[in-house]
Amino acid sequence: MKQNLEKRLWKWLEGEWEPLDYLSEPAEVRDSSRESLKEQKKHLRESIDRMEHTQAVVRAEQKGFYAFYTLTAVICCLVLIGVLLYSVANVSEYGVENPLTMEVVGRYVSRGLYETGAVNVVSGMILDYRAFDTLGESHVLFTALVCVLILLHRDRKNMLPGVEDYYTVSRENYYELSGDPILRTVGMVLLPCIFLYGIYVLLNGQNSPGGGFSGGTVMGSALIILSACVGFARTDRFFTRRMITLVIFVSLAFYSLAKGYVFFMGANGLENHIPKGVPGTILSGGLILPLNIAVGMVVACTMYGFYSLFKRGSIGEDGTSLD
Amino acid sequence: MSMEWLRFWLVFILIVGSLLGFTFSVIGFYRFGFLMNRLHASGIGDTFGILCMALGLLLAQEPSLSMGKMALAVIFLWFTSPTSSHFLCQVEFYTNPDLYRYVDREAK
Repeated sequence: MKQNLEKRLWKWLEGEWEPLDYLSEPAEVRDSSRESLKEQKKHLRESIDRMEHTQAVVRAEQKGFYAFYTLTAVICCLVLIGVLLYSVANVSEYGVENPLTMEVVGRYVSRGLYETGAVNVVSGMILDYRAFDTLGESHVLFTALVCVLILLHRDRKNMLPGVEDYYTVSRENYYELSGDPILRTVGMVLLPCIFLYGIYVLLNGQNSPGGGFSGGTVMGSALIILSACVGFARTDRFFTRRMITLVIFVSLAFYSLAKGYVFFMGANGLENHIPKGVPGTILSGGLILPLNIAVGMVVACTMYGFYSLFKRGSIGEDGTSLD
Repeated sequence: MSMEWLRFWLVFILIVGSLLGFTFSVIGFYRFGFLMNRLHASGIGDTFGILCMALGLLLAQEPSLSMGKMALAVIFLWFTSPTSSHFLCQVEFYTNPDLYRYVDREAK
């Protein structure tokens, strides 16, 4: 018996044997609800196969579109590899001082505070010197939200008639978090703190690490917790799809116009008349604070939109009328 | 001098206790088979371990603003981690069809 125990101990340590193995073996129980789910999946697949689009894809594959597609992809990849290898071969060696790049870095570090008014040099870089780069990133987020909306949005047009999908099948067994008193109480205690912290990070971006992206992410996660605490029915009163689109559009348009104006004036050697304020205070850094707010709004709305689309296939109340 | 020694030993006990708690938590988390047992094990680290570690570190440093920040972090974690454990348990309870093999409960 003792030897047996020792053997077992070694086996357990080497990961070959689990003391609780006999508990975790799957039972041979046929669950009727799972069987019916399988049936429904099969039904769904068959009706997808019968659809017009699927058959069009099959026909295109038969016509050789697939070969053309593969060939184009391979050619594109080869061209990209060639370009990248060529540029890597021309990069200066690591550690060797390259006057072209060092000049820019020295300018950022030595004159960043004077020219942008931001104590945080990184903020001054990404929202002043290279503001169009950040504008592109915000547009990438918006484009990603639009793509997810196209793929996952659930309305009458892209639902198969007579077929229940995941959202409607599991509705009976669906566990709704928002009715829980524990979650609601904890959320009511913590949410103001999280929102406040997000706003602090957002507004203080020109003075300390942080800014639009991080502050927006904090606020976006606070919105997600809010919708989990009080339920989508109550967040939908304000965060409709129209509202989110409006906020993102206004932010991006303001960003483009304001920064376009500044760059246009700067390129022509003119003053832009935007006060830089006292470095270190909240109202400093010229355009950096409003641009941070714009980026933060975009990021927060995008985060909430992703969550909402992945959770229930719609933003705002326009999708809930289906249920 | 004796106060310094007292503080040192207090910090020592708190930090070693927290490390012990984390050790048990990790062992339990990896060796238990059933989700609720594992949640219990990980909850020990999430609450007891973090509380003892933060208290030890609070006592170890000079009084400053960062002490308040650390205390706030502990309060935050004491709110959030039991809540998340509670919901993981809840989801397991409502969705696991084989649950009757582990616990006594009424049929769903």
